[in-house]
Amino acid sequence: MTTREALAHVRRRDGVAVIELIGDLNAAAESALDEAWTAATTVRPDAVVLSFENSGYINSTGIALVVGLLASARAHRIPIRAYGLTDHYREIFEITRLADFMAIENDEDSAVQGVGGDRNG
Amino acid sequence: MTNSSNDKPAAAGRDEANWAKMVSRLKVSQVPEGAMNLNVDGRQLTSPIQGFGKMWQKTYVVRLPSERVAPTELIATWRKDFGDFWPPGNHFYAPLTGIEPGEVALLNMKVPGMKLSTGVMVLYADEESFTLMTPQGHMFAGWITFSAAQQDDATVVQAQVLMRASDPIFELALVMGGHRQEDQFWIQTLGNVAAHFGHPDATVDTKVVCVDRKRQWSRWRNVWHSSAIRSAIYMAEAPIRGARSLTHRTGA
Repeated sequence: MTTREALAHVRRRDGVAVIELIGDLNAAAESALDEAWTAATTVRPDAVVLSFENSGYINSTGIALVVGLLASARAHRIPIRAYGLTDHYREIFEITRLADFMAIENDEDSAVQGVGGDRNG
Repeated sequence: MTNSSNDKPAAAGRDEANWAKMVSRLKVSQVPEGAMNLNVDGRQLTSPIQGFGKMWQKTYVVRLPSERVAPTELIATWRKDFGDFWPPGNHFYAPLTGIEPGEVALLNMKVPGMKLSTGVMVLYADEESFTLMTPQGHMFAGWITFSAAQQDDATVVQAQVLMRASDPIFELALVMGGHRQEDQFWIQTLGNVAAHFGHPDATVDTKVVCVDRKRQWSRWRNVWHSSAIRSAIYMAEAPIRGARSLTHRTGA
């Protein structure tokens, strides 16, 4: 099974930090995700948006990393949203009940604007 | 910009069979002989975010020489004989089809003063890892991932728990020695796995990280589903059930 190294780029848009996830989200992605989270929240954003548009395979360890981000976001009361998930991974976010805490939008504009509202679980 | 799921790299779809399908509530298809089936049927799954207590990530690791066992072989054995590696007195009733995504297993655990009945669902399983997720009422809300990977000349075997205590009672129990007991449980389990592959004296390393120190007080109502309380009530009612059964048989 080939894997794609995980990268996470941070950019700002309208006061919202967008973390663009690239490559596979597994145990090897931990440091990239941690660094991205620190960069995204050093200056407090209105919300953090996770972009899965260019992410690939996500395993259960990758989901655990997302839970870690959610925990940090909740601790600091920063809304967290996501977009770019395939139907399959949308379902995984439902099964793992991450979707209870994270608004999943269809595109970046909706995610940045938070059109679907934020989740409190 | 739209979510174009068809444009995704092939990688995104390659693990579909490894994940459980969507379930709103758990269903135990068959109860193995000797198993107590309580606190599982009809329950929803709970992620670490649905729990009450502090959020913990606990990692237990043991290293075995890679010439002794490859990661895929180790995981295949672990999936097949999962319950056999548990400390004595605790029972994992594997589904008939084994540890496969979406399958539900019953657990009868030895806790001080009682036998606690709960279960888990297999959330994810592939050749190198598998993940179990807990239902409402379980001691903790979360999941545990078992994995094996090649690192240099070693096969690194790992169990990683991501959890919150489900309710205030379990949180108190964790503080009052439950954490130590849980650590011992998984250290012993990994030790048994190592022993199975010829390394009974292998050292299990433990790393504990508090991911979120806050307790989620809004979740105190989770206690309604508590497997400890419901198992205790079930045990206390055993004599009444026995008497009823006897009366029924005598009457027939």
